Amino acid sequence: MAENTTITQSKETKDLLILLAQTQKKCGFLSEETLANLARTLDMSLSDVYGVATFYSFLSTKPLGRHVIRVCKSLPCHYKDAAVIIESLEKTLGIKTGETTPDGRFSLELTNCIGACDKAPAILINDDVHGDLTVDRIPQILQAYK
Amino acid sequence: MAKEIEVTLNDNKVTGAEGMTILDLARAKGIDIPTLCYVEDLLPTGACRLCVVEVEGSRTLVASCHTPIAPGMVIQTHSPRVIEARRQIVELMLASHPDTCLVCDKANICELRKIAADLDIGLPRFRTRKHYFAIEDVSPYLVRDMSKCVLCRRCIRGCNEIAKKNVLGMAYRGFDSKVVVDCDEAINTEACRDCDVCVSLCPVGALSKPRKVEEKRRGKVQVIKG
Amino acid sequence: MPEKRIVLRNCGVIDPRDMSSYLAHDGFKGLEKALSLTPEQVIEEVKTSGLRGRGGAGFPAGMKWELTRKSPGDEKYLICNADEGEVGTFKDRYILQNDPFSLVEAIAIAGYAIGAKKGFIYLRAEYHYLRPMLANAIDQARAKGFLSHMDIEIRMGAGAYVCGEESALMESIEGKRGEVRYRPPFPPTKGLFGKPTVINNVETLMNIPAIMLNGARWFNQIGTERSKGTKVFSVAGDVPRPGVYEMVLGSKLRELVQDLAGATDIKAIQIGGATGRLIPESMLDTPLAFENLLGAGAITVFNSHRDIIDIVYRTMEFLAEESCGKCVPCRQGTEVMVETLERFMHGEGEERDVKVLQELSSTMMLTSLCGLGQAAPNPVIDSLQYFKDAYESRIKARGEVKV
Repeated sequence: MAENTTITQSKETKDLLILLAQTQKKCGFLSEETLANLARTLDMSLSDVYGVATFYSFLSTKPLGRHVIRVCKSLPCHYKDAAVIIESLEKTLGIKTGETTPDGRFSLELTNCIGACDKAPAILINDDVHGDLTVDRIPQILQAYK
Repeated sequence: MAKEIEVTLNDNKVTGAEGMTILDLARAKGIDIPTLCYVEDLLPTGACRLCVVEVEGSRTLVASCHTPIAPGMVIQTHSPRVIEARRQIVELMLASHPDTCLVCDKANICELRKIAADLDIGLPRFRTRKHYFAIEDVSPYLVRDMSKCVLCRRCIRGCNEIAKKNVLGMAYRGFDSKVVVDCDEAINTEACRDCDVCVSLCPVGALSKPRKVEEKRRGKVQVIKG
Repeated sequence: MPEKRIVLRNCGVIDPRDMSSYLAHDGFKGLEKALSLTPEQVIEEVKTSGLRGRGGAGFPAGMKWELTRKSPGDEKYLICNADEGEVGTFKDRYILQNDPFSLVEAIAIAGYAIGAKKGFIYLRAEYHYLRPMLANAIDQARAKGFLSHMDIEIRMGAGAYVCGEESALMESIEGKRGEVRYRPPFPPTKGLFGKPTVINNVETLMNIPAIMLNGARWFNQIGTERSKGTKVFSVAGDVPRPGVYEMVLGSKLRELVQDLAGATDIKAIQIGGATGRLIPESMLDTPLAFENLLGAGAITVFNSHRDIIDIVYRTMEFLAEESCGKCVPCRQGTEVMVETLERFMHGEGEERDVKVLQELSSTMMLTSLCGLGQAAPNPVIDSLQYFKDAYESRIKARGEVKV
């Protein structure tokens, strides 16, 4: 409970970005309907709400899987064979980057530097970092995400 | 009465009122600095960078439309460095602008073409991919061709500040940035009625009125180099 | 010059979850000292220390504080920039993971000095996993009464490198698109929600408790004439010992990448990430200081197997993806550069492309709205200066194929 004091925002939370992040967490993505509802609640134009939702790469206006895998493609990871990791993930999941598995379990995305360059190649699954990744470890890591 | 501030503008000592921008002062003194995103009645946004000038002691050029004058400023509005920068900025805009001036409705009144002609811009040195968006012509009031948009945001600011309708917004980011209606829908009569504010503000052919049969294209034919 | 730990003094020493462990290591003694002084005296101390911003620009921290303190108005804000997104940097992550308490203490001191009743920590979305521990540190400090004069709130980013730029960061805290604002007005006059605001990098703030405790004179004696104190670097890439190292400012790059990180095969080093500099091995003896080479502290080493054009292309691709898109030179310029470099990647680069890159670099530096666009051409400029053969050999190869 103690965490709540800092994690919840100050009373006047009319903050669009916080609400978008919360909504995405709850609904998995930001549908036109939820964006329209937010616009109404905040008395903003839908265009402006859509503008914020499409600016940030962690927000999505398209449906995502329950777990989002973000593979770092920036230089330190790239030169530690991120491409091999991407290929292996695509093969294991049977999808290409930018796609979601048919069962809705995983989405696979590429992302820019996640600040885990000392553990390259690294990926984020939801909020968790998995570094020093090897192809053999991938199935076991994925198992933890149902 | 606002305080008078003395600055050096193109080697002349001149004074202006505190709070004036460099652009205000230059225009008041009859110096023509080209602008694109700046419109007198709208809040400045600093997006196009066409109005940059040289200010002594500044590491970069500064945009005159939003930089207030300060005591002792030494300003050059047309130095070779400034002109070259302006040329490149226009060329950068042209790089992703469709080459459809011949058939564009705004061809003869296009501000981008006029600025390009004023700056004596020839064949483009920069190449980028173009934006291809379907022409939105479902509304009887306006036609949007976003592939021609230069992202000056005049329409958005006009819609917010003058028409007070907040129909338009900026979406996506970087090179993919786009002026959108709702969740990037084609503009229709539900979103927007006949107010014309945005159409009259658009410097290029991105926003226009549907041309009636037999109606002539507006403006004199412009002759442009290149 | 060896490693010296000021910023990282508690990393690996204290338990980052337990306040009592921090208190046992002089925790909050700096705040205690600060509160015994007037805010003006605290600012004077920071000014005397010579501490400069560690986020890359190197603006004197004390001066920023003073300007904000002197700005009229009761409502002021302190923002801690924890949006480290520069490619190859992870030092703030390491700091937050190992010593969140010092940061909270520093914010409390800064807030007292500038007269801010509210502080924000803007944490990048990629570091969401650090949030519970940081929140815990804030809660424990609050419970102990160390935050009686101000509150601290954590705000999350949502995936945008440009939000590390101070004006975009403020827009983002205000819940908007992370687009850059034009300046002036600067944050000390008109910042977050239009109020006077100080924005300090995590590492800048981490120096504050030690400066309060040991005095400005002590800090001022460390480093070079114009670069006081230490700098924390994250070293990655082709090195056997990637990691976070803290060195006295003025230390040589060689000591960092060879002696500490163990690099043996070096073709190029990227200093300061994507918008930083790209230099050859021959510059290894350059001192790491504001007056020479520094940036935000990201060091990526590339060995002789790496292709310079590939490095520059990928760096520029990153910048184009992360450009906010507001101003023409950055939005269009990064795209032109990516597409030009792409042609070199495919063996289609021409002599005139090199000229275009040079001309465009200068315009982007001179006219872009913010630091991102102004520094975006750096990798192109440096590669053309130090690794011109990478371009020339490709142009030549193209000619040979044609004949």
